[in-house]
Amino acid sequence: MPTFKLDGKAIPFEPGDTIIRAAWRQGIEIPHYCWHPGLSAPANCRMCLVEIVPKPGTRPLTLDVLEWDAKAGTYRPTQKPKLQPACYVPAADGMEVLGNTSEHVRKARHDVQEFLLLNHPVDCPICDQSGECKLQDYWLEHGRYHKRMRDEPVHKPKGVVFGPTIVYDGERCVMCTRCIRFMAEVAKDPVLDMRERGNLNEITVSPGRVLDGHYTFMTEHVCPVGALTTKDFRFKARVWFLRTASAICQGCATGCNAWLDYDPRYNRAYRYRPRDNEKVNKFWMCDEGMLTYKAAHDGRVLEASVRGTPTSTTKALETIKTLFAEASTQSLAVVLSAAHCLEDNWALLELGEVLVGTKKVYLGGHPEGYEDAILIHRDKNPNTRGVQQLATQIAPLKSLVEEIGAGRVTHVLALGGAAAIDPAALRPAAVVAIASHHGPLTSAATVVLPATSWAEQSGTYVNAKGIRQISEKALEPQGASKPAWQQAADVAGALGYEPSWTRLKQIRARLLGSTAVDGPAAPLPVAAPGE
Amino acid sequence: MSQHVLDKLKARFGTSILETHSDFGDDTAVVEPSQWKAVCQYLREEPALDFDLPVDLCGVDYPTRIPRMEVVMHLYSIAKGHRVRLKARVGDEEMSGAELDSVTSIWPGMNWLEREVWDMSGVRFNGHPDLRRILMYPEFEGHPLQKTYPADRTQPLVPYRTEEEAGLPLGKLEPFGPDEGMPFGRGGLPRVVDHEDD
Amino acid sequence: MEPLDIDLEEGELELPADPMHLNMGPSHPAMHGTVRIVLELSGETIVKADVQIGYLHRGFEKMSERGTWAQVFPYVDRLNYVSPMLNNVGYALAVEKLCGIAVPERCQWYRMVLGELARISDHLTCDGAMAMELGAFTPFLWFVKAREMVWDILEEETGARLTHSFGRIGGMANPPSRDFKGLCRAALPKILELVEQGEKMLLKNRIFIERLESVGVISGTDAVALGWTGPCLRASGVAYDIRKAHPYLRYDEVDFDVPIGRSGDTLDRFLVRLAEIRQSKRIIEQSLERMADEGPINCDDPRVVLPDKMDVYTTIEATIQHFKLIMEGAKVPKGEVYSYTEGGNGELGYYLVSDGGGTPYRVRIRPPCFQITGGLSKLLESRMLSDIVPTFGSLNMIGGECDH
Repeated sequence: MPTFKLDGKAIPFEPGDTIIRAAWRQGIEIPHYCWHPGLSAPANCRMCLVEIVPKPGTRPLTLDVLEWDAKAGTYRPTQKPKLQPACYVPAADGMEVLGNTSEHVRKARHDVQEFLLLNHPVDCPICDQSGECKLQDYWLEHGRYHKRMRDEPVHKPKGVVFGPTIVYDGERCVMCTRCIRFMAEVAKDPVLDMRERGNLNEITVSPGRVLDGHYTFMTEHVCPVGALTTKDFRFKARVWFLRTASAICQGCATGCNAWLDYDPRYNRAYRYRPRDNEKVNKFWMCDEGMLTYKAAHDGRVLEASVRGTPTSTTKALETIKTLFAEASTQSLAVVLSAAHCLEDNWALLELGEVLVGTKKVYLGGHPEGYEDAILIHRDKNPNTRGVQQLATQIAPLKSLVEEIGAGRVTHVLALGGAAAIDPAALRPAAVVAIASHHGPLTSAATVVLPATSWAEQSGTYVNAKGIRQISEKALEPQGASKPAWQQAADVAGALGYEPSWTRLKQIRARLLGSTAVDGPAAPLPVAAPGE
Repeated sequence: MSQHVLDKLKARFGTSILETHSDFGDDTAVVEPSQWKAVCQYLREEPALDFDLPVDLCGVDYPTRIPRMEVVMHLYSIAKGHRVRLKARVGDEEMSGAELDSVTSIWPGMNWLEREVWDMSGVRFNGHPDLRRILMYPEFEGHPLQKTYPADRTQPLVPYRTEEEAGLPLGKLEPFGPDEGMPFGRGGLPRVVDHEDD
Repeated sequence: MEPLDIDLEEGELELPADPMHLNMGPSHPAMHGTVRIVLELSGETIVKADVQIGYLHRGFEKMSERGTWAQVFPYVDRLNYVSPMLNNVGYALAVEKLCGIAVPERCQWYRMVLGELARISDHLTCDGAMAMELGAFTPFLWFVKAREMVWDILEEETGARLTHSFGRIGGMANPPSRDFKGLCRAALPKILELVEQGEKMLLKNRIFIERLESVGVISGTDAVALGWTGPCLRASGVAYDIRKAHPYLRYDEVDFDVPIGRSGDTLDRFLVRLAEIRQSKRIIEQSLERMADEGPINCDDPRVVLPDKMDVYTTIEATIQHFKLIMEGAKVPKGEVYSYTEGGNGELGYYLVSDGGGTPYRVRIRPPCFQITGGLSKLLESRMLSDIVPTFGSLNMIGGECDH
């Protein structure tokens, strides 16, 4: 692989890489605002300027400048190397690039930073971006000067509503055009553009349009400063109080990688941020997926109930015991859930197939919905592929309705609340649902046991491409909920069986040991410096 | 500052000195845990080194590393005026195998420091004459300076128990009986009711 | 009622064969701070003394891992609470060593003056309280009066009498007040005069001398092996003073002596402290002479020093600087450092580990009186019960520091 040198360090690159991209692949950040690994490079922020040492024998690129001579008290003409944007210059073998080690580059970054902050308002205390703002980070790294301008800064529109989800603040904007390029290049809906020139520059929505569609949240996430904010997160939390866990989006079968930001003090999730994964979602997520963090709190089953009346988990387990006393192996069915993780499904399947001995296994989950060619998948469940790999003889839920109608199934052990059926069709049977969220299955169930959602437990999901990924635990279990695999063990105990699993580690070992799950291992997320 | 200390250690112990550095002018040697006491003995007794002042001992927890607990010792020589920092890394992710040989026989001043490291970080010192908790109470569970110990965990108040009941050497005396101490402060003097014998 | 002094037959007397156990503390007037000594007595002789500490443990080291580097300052105030300024300066020096920054010369002199004032207050408290515990209440009041003068100066400078939180990474919270030099120069002779009066009263008192002399003796070698430092070690004849051995700030540029004792008994420890007060006075006088009246007190590195408040309200640059330092904390380079200064009781060390973030990865304090208290039981064993109070008093065990 060809290499070039950045500050004396050898950086390998693939042909066609720009300097900044090759460095980014190595986890080295060249400061930038406008460049984004998933977008085209306009080279307009000038923050990534580097000095390229001329090859011996070639004429160096230089600029004629006037330099202040303090001794003589006058300007004197001199020359300095012409710096070049690292996001635009392709890397070449043997090239020698100076970043931090060049005095000219340091000076340029310092000056660009000063220029970008010339008209910036004193907004940090009320800005949602503060704490993760590039202007702040780079000022401390490369700026470190005090304001010289004493004039009134230029004022621009603030709080401009761009659409149902996004609010724009012109004064904070550094005109990196990432949002414009995102809408044009990724969302294929070039609804944003720039108007005016110089320090009157601002981002604007096409006349007659608003910023809407399925990818508006991403404009906020590509924004390196606080110019674009989402109505959903605006003024909700300060980012330095949030902790983050790497999660898998539950919105559809694409299985986008995300950071789930939560506040441990209130045990509350606040937002998703896309997590880079070249193999799954690259750098993006859709609006619907971004909002699924709300499911950590909305529509949750938080306590056990018997025939719709809340009760304690112990009482519920006693009810299951009496309810299933006369259940025979033939008349008992198991419903797995494509909306729950592999571990939960494995535990219920183990209970049904191995301990009870039934062969009747059905698959529940959310009904299908909207799809597009970018990220959104038709299947609205995060783990359909995984459950199908786990239970190869799985039947759709419709056939369970037929079986119940025919009286061949009288008892049902179900996972999850989601199902694309009418709950009334299940009422003739005695249904036990272990669920994190309410849905047709829980409303049909005689006994409901509360399970933790994906945000409160570590779980494995297999996306539509067959990539196995782990979602980490973020929140503490809410209400009386426990991980569904634990609830399944308790149900097994109530039915008089000895469960063979007590820890998550055991289930993981059994899952990996079985050949049922043979998808490729979860790829490590691509390191994204500064994203 | 005193590179020769590290040089001498490396010459004497070879591969048992796993790592050395002198960042910020502090000479540091990472020692194979099994050689801990031997290295200390050498540092104390070698006339050219003569580390006579046991300055400090503490544990630093790195829960993501194995071995996870780093025991850090600082020594000083009053006569020579040089310092050294000695480290040993012990204990797996569940802190099993986190033990070192006690060096109280070399420096009596290490007695309390080793007790403190046991108490706070959970490293046992073999051969320590009196390895009790020192800052926390005997009934305390866990070792608070391990990174995995949540800073906001509360532990229940412990009612008074005798050593037999607790099954622990508590090192406490029983509280005052009613006939001890200052009777006027504890329910008053026993009242004499019977005056007829006067 | 029967007479109390009835003659008992010798043979009827039943003396207990078991040694007597006695709790001293944790709330005993002479156990300053709170410390407990479980004594095993044979008559009045101490067979075994088990010193139990930890009653003032507040989790200093754990708490320090939760905030920013600068948020540790209020905690170090509460370690040795009779000389908090020395702790402040010690911690600031440790972080500065890790950051590789040097404070301006004016600040160094300022730190020295404040530190020596704190040392005077530390020694006055120790010697005064020790005399009081032996029944000499008047000298205690005089010493505390002198200490009050020190505290008045510190209050004028910092706004707080005890918990100053005055140190900052890269400087001090405020420059010296206008009258600082005048205040010090006026107060020092008065302080010394009070010390002299107290001294006269105590050192000519036979009871006082006899309760201290040859009590709690420890040899220099033993004291070193126990890890003792500071006045207690110097009283045993070992002239180890960090200000001389490894000068920091500008101690190498001032002229002062290191007083040492001869026999290492309680009286020596008492006298060494008194002598050190006089040396501190010398240091203060020279430092005041050298300290400039004008000039910066903080270094000018925006990565660690807070901006001017007016700029924070009006310019985005200062807002960012303020915000980064307060919310994320000053980023201290990755590494580990052990920095040591001469505290009131001896070597006050900070072992800091940084992972490069705004929050300390580990703050370890090496409190001098932890090891000194650790040696207490050795001093007490086979001594008399009544020797505990002077011996313990002369060690100047400070609960907050000893128990972290």
